[in-house]
Amino acid sequence: MDMELLIPLTAVLAIFVGLPWIVLHYITRWKTAATLTTGDEALLEELYQLARRLDERMDTVERLVAADNPEFRPARIAPDLETDNQKLRELDRLVAQQRGTSQ
Amino acid sequence: MSNQPQRTRFYRDKVNGKFMGVCAGIADYTGIDVLWVRIGFLVLAFSMGWPFLIYFAIGMLADKKPPRLYVDSQEQKFWQGVRQSPTRTAREVRSTFRDIDRRLAEVEQFYVSGNPRLSAEIEKLR
Repeated sequence: MDMELLIPLTAVLAIFVGLPWIVLHYITRWKTAATLTTGDEALLEELYQLARRLDERMDTVERLVAADNPEFRPARIAPDLETDNQKLRELDRLVAQQRGTSQ
Repeated sequence: MSNQPQRTRFYRDKVNGKFMGVCAGIADYTGIDVLWVRIGFLVLAFSMGWPFLIYFAIGMLADKKPPRLYVDSQEQKFWQGVRQSPTRTAREVRSTFRDIDRRLAEVEQFYVSGNPRLSAEIEKLR
């Protein structure tokens, strides 16, 4: 087969078969993708608002309990705690040791 | 449809926009900073030309953003997350509920087995 026939054939195939194929493929992908209905959206909105309200209430309750009982410590992720720092220093030391032995 | 405006639709943000509010709308929809959207749009528009047509098409067709769509910026961030991935946002909401559950269990634990009851009884025996 000579080139004069091959090039137009490839071009025609690419434009009339390949291109619509790609376009239709992505259209079906887009159509079947998970979308939110209005009901889902309202539900998500409600859950989000509820979570926020409960979070604020929980803060208040923890504050109240901590005010009444000084020994109550809500376990929170707090920065710069001595117990964490100790472990972090230990980790640092071990990492440094590892580097020292491997080199 | 309910009177509540939809949060998962694209709106053009005329209030914060420069011209028709399309770039500001895209920024509000996706959560990308509006400056980057504008720079990207201008670069594309001046290099190719057709983005100007799309800009005017969107500017004519899209609805204006309803006022007071979001109460605060936290809510705006939340809906930007929903538009990017509803599944991930639902998981985040679930993790918030789990966190509240854990904290509540801690308070409960403190009151059920903890010191307040014991110290109250010791106080009574005295």
